[in-house]
Amino acid sequence: MNTILVIAKREFLERVRTKAFVIGTILGPVFMAGIIVVPAVMASKLSKSVSITVIDAEGSLRSAVEDSLKSGSEPPPVTAQDRVVGRARNTGVTKFNVRAPEGSDVAAQREAAKQAVLKGTLDVYVVLPPTVLHDSKAEYYSKTVTDFEGIRAVDRAVEKAIFAKRISAEGIDPARIAALTRPLELKRLKVSEKGEQEDRGVSFLLSLILVMMIYVGTLMWGQIVMTGVIEEKSSRVVEVIVSSTTPRNLLFGKLMGVGSAGLLQFSIWILALVAVSLASGSLAFLSGADLPELNPVLIAAFPVFFLLGFFLYASLYAAIGSAVNTIQEAQNFIFPVVLPVVLAMVCWPVVMRAPDSTLSVVLSLIPFMTPILMFLRMSVLMPPVWQIALSVVLTSATIALVITIAGRIYRVGILMYGKPPTFPELVRWARHG
Amino acid sequence: MTLALQLKQARKAFQGHVAVKGLDLDVPKGSVFGLLGPNGAGKTTTIRMAMDIIGPDSGEVLILGGKTDKALRDRIGYMPEERGLYQKMVVEDLLVFMAELKGVRPAESKRRMTPWLEKLGLADWRKKKANELSKGMQQKVQFIQTLLHDPEILILDEPTSGLDPVGTNVMRDAMIELSRAGKTLIVSSHQMATVEQMCDRVALINKGEKILDGKVSDIKASYGKNTIILAFEGDGSFLKSLPGVVSASDSGRYAELRLSAGANPQEILKAAGERLKITRFEVVEPSLHDIFIERVTGEAPKPVEAAR
Repeated sequence: MNTILVIAKREFLERVRTKAFVIGTILGPVFMAGIIVVPAVMASKLSKSVSITVIDAEGSLRSAVEDSLKSGSEPPPVTAQDRVVGRARNTGVTKFNVRAPEGSDVAAQREAAKQAVLKGTLDVYVVLPPTVLHDSKAEYYSKTVTDFEGIRAVDRAVEKAIFAKRISAEGIDPARIAALTRPLELKRLKVSEKGEQEDRGVSFLLSLILVMMIYVGTLMWGQIVMTGVIEEKSSRVVEVIVSSTTPRNLLFGKLMGVGSAGLLQFSIWILALVAVSLASGSLAFLSGADLPELNPVLIAAFPVFFLLGFFLYASLYAAIGSAVNTIQEAQNFIFPVVLPVVLAMVCWPVVMRAPDSTLSVVLSLIPFMTPILMFLRMSVLMPPVWQIALSVVLTSATIALVITIAGRIYRVGILMYGKPPTFPELVRWARHG
Repeated sequence: MTLALQLKQARKAFQGHVAVKGLDLDVPKGSVFGLLGPNGAGKTTTIRMAMDIIGPDSGEVLILGGKTDKALRDRIGYMPEERGLYQKMVVEDLLVFMAELKGVRPAESKRRMTPWLEKLGLADWRKKKANELSKGMQQKVQFIQTLLHDPEILILDEPTSGLDPVGTNVMRDAMIELSRAGKTLIVSSHQMATVEQMCDRVALINKGEKILDGKVSDIKASYGKNTIILAFEGDGSFLKSLPGVVSASDSGRYAELRLSAGANPQEILKAAGERLKITRFEVVEPSLHDIFIERVTGEAPKPVEAAR
C-alpha cells in the first residue's frame, strides 16, 4: 500500500477511536437539536398556573381584567430566527387561576391578599388604584417579581381592560378598534426560477448551521493536525517515519486522514440534523412546502468547501506545528493564520444582506475566505456557476501553493529541535527547504 | 567484498557548523559494524545521511551499491537515537503500522512479531498502549519495529543506552542472533564494552572526522600487548609513577597500566609486589575503551595506524 494511504489510515483510525471523537459526534447533534427543540419544549413544559386576585380601587375594571386573565393572551408567534439566536419570545405560558378578593373594602382586601401571599395560598395580587384610568399606574404584588412572562401577561391584561374602558368612554366600540389595529403578518417569499416560495427562516437557519460547521471545523481540525505534528515531533516518532517515507507523504497522509475523520463527523451531524428536523415535527417550517429548502446542491457542496478550508488551513497549521516544540510556542504563529477566518466571519452580515453585491462577490472569491463566504452565498442565494467554479479553482491553486510552502517548512522543522524559529527563518526554510 | 553501506567523502554542514567533514566509510555486508565516537562527533548525522533523512552537501552515500531510494530504504531497519512511540497507540497496532509503511501486510507483521515479543519479554504487553510501558520496554518495542520488515541492514543508534543490565543482555543476544542470520548490523554507541564484544569492525569518528577504522582485532593488535591489569590489596597510588608506566587508571583495588614501548612488565610486577599484595596480574591488549579515550583526548603514545 502507498505510504500516504498507510499514514492516512492510521490518522483516521486513531482520531475516530478517541473518546473525544465519539463524544463529540454524539453531542454535536444533541447540542444542535437542543438549540432548535429545547425552546419549544421549554415553552410547553414551563406553562404554570398562577393564582391571582385583582383588587380594584377604581371600581369598574375588575371583571374586564379577570376575563382577560382567564382567556389568556395570544403570545406572538415564534420565528426561526428567534429560535436560532435563542430569542424565544415565549418562554412559558401562564395560566391564571383567578380568585375573588376577600373583604368588604379595598384596605381589608389588600390585607387579606397580603396574608394569603405570605401563607403561600395566593401567588399574586394586583392593585388597581382609583387613578389608574388617568395615569396608567398599577401595582403587582408577589413573593418574587422575576416571573417576567407572568408579569407581562398581567400587564397586557390590565392594559387591555384600561384601553377598552377609555375607548368606550370616547364612544367607540373596542371590538372595532381591535379589528382595525390587527397586527401585520409579513410573509417572506423567496423568488427564484422555480417559482415563489414561502421562507420562514429556513435559509437563515441552514446557512448558519452549515457555515458555523465549516468555520468551527476548519479551525478545530486544523488545530488537531497541528497538535498531532507537535506530538510526533516531541515524541521523536517522526524520525522513524521519515526513514520510511518522505516528509511530503507524511504531511499529505496526515491531512487526508484527519480530514476524513472530520468529514465523517460532519456527515453524521448533518444526517442527524436532517433526521431530527424531519422527525421531531417541532419544526413546522421544515414540513411540506419548505422541504425543497434543504437543497441537495448545498448538502453536496458542504464536503467540498469543508475540505477546501481544511486543506488550506490545516497545512498552515502543520507547518506551524513542525516549526515549534510545544503548543504554547505555537500560539504566536496561530494568530496570523486564523486572521482570515475571523475576517470572513466579520464579513458575514455584509454578504448575508447583499449576497450578490460586488463586495460580496469579491470577498467570496478570496481563497482564504472562500470556504466560508462562498458557501454562505450559496446557501442564501445561489451565485452563478462560474463564480463558484472560479472560487474552487482559485482556492485549489492556493492550496497547492500553500502545501508546497508548508511542506518545505515541515521538512526542515520536524527534525529541528530547540529554539522555535523567527518569521524570517521560516521564510528561509520555505525558500530553501 | 560487497558493501552494505558506503560513504564517499560525505560532508554535511548546518548553519556554519560542519557536522561531518568528508567522511569515507565502508561497511561490508554481513558484518557487525561499530560506529564509535563521543557525543557530537557526527554519528547521528552520518546515520541520517545513510537513511537519506538528510542529504549530504557533497559526496556520495550508497546503500548496497545504489543511491538510496524508497525500495532500498525498505531493506534497512532504522532505530534512531532520539526515540519514541505514538504514546496513545496499542503496541500491536503500532508495530503493524510501522511495518506497513515498509510494505508488510498487517497479517504478516502480526505473525512475525509474536516470537520477538516473547523473546524480549513483551508478550503480555501486546494489547497495551505504549504509554503504559516502561521506558526500557518502549525501547524494545522500537527494536522490534526496526526488524519486522526483515531488513538486510539494521542501523541501530545507541541501541542499549538506558537499558538495565538484563535488558542490555537480552538486546545483545537478539543482535547476535540477527548477525548469525546474515544481517548487517551498524551499531552506533559509546558503550565500548558492548561494542567490543559484538562488533567485528569499528570506525571511530571525532569532530566529524574518521580517526580510526578497521577490524577490531587488527586495531587492538596494532597497539600490542602494552597493558597490565593488576588487582591488589594496599595503597596503589605509587603505580603510575613507576618507570615505564605511561598512564594508569586506578580504581583502588584494580588498575590498568599502560606501558611505554620497551618497558618490561616483569619489572613492574616486581616493583609492585614489593609494596602490595598482588591477587591478579595479566598482560593484555588495550580495551577499545582505552583506545577510544586515548584517541579522542589525544593522550598517550600514538600506535601505528590500524590496517584496513
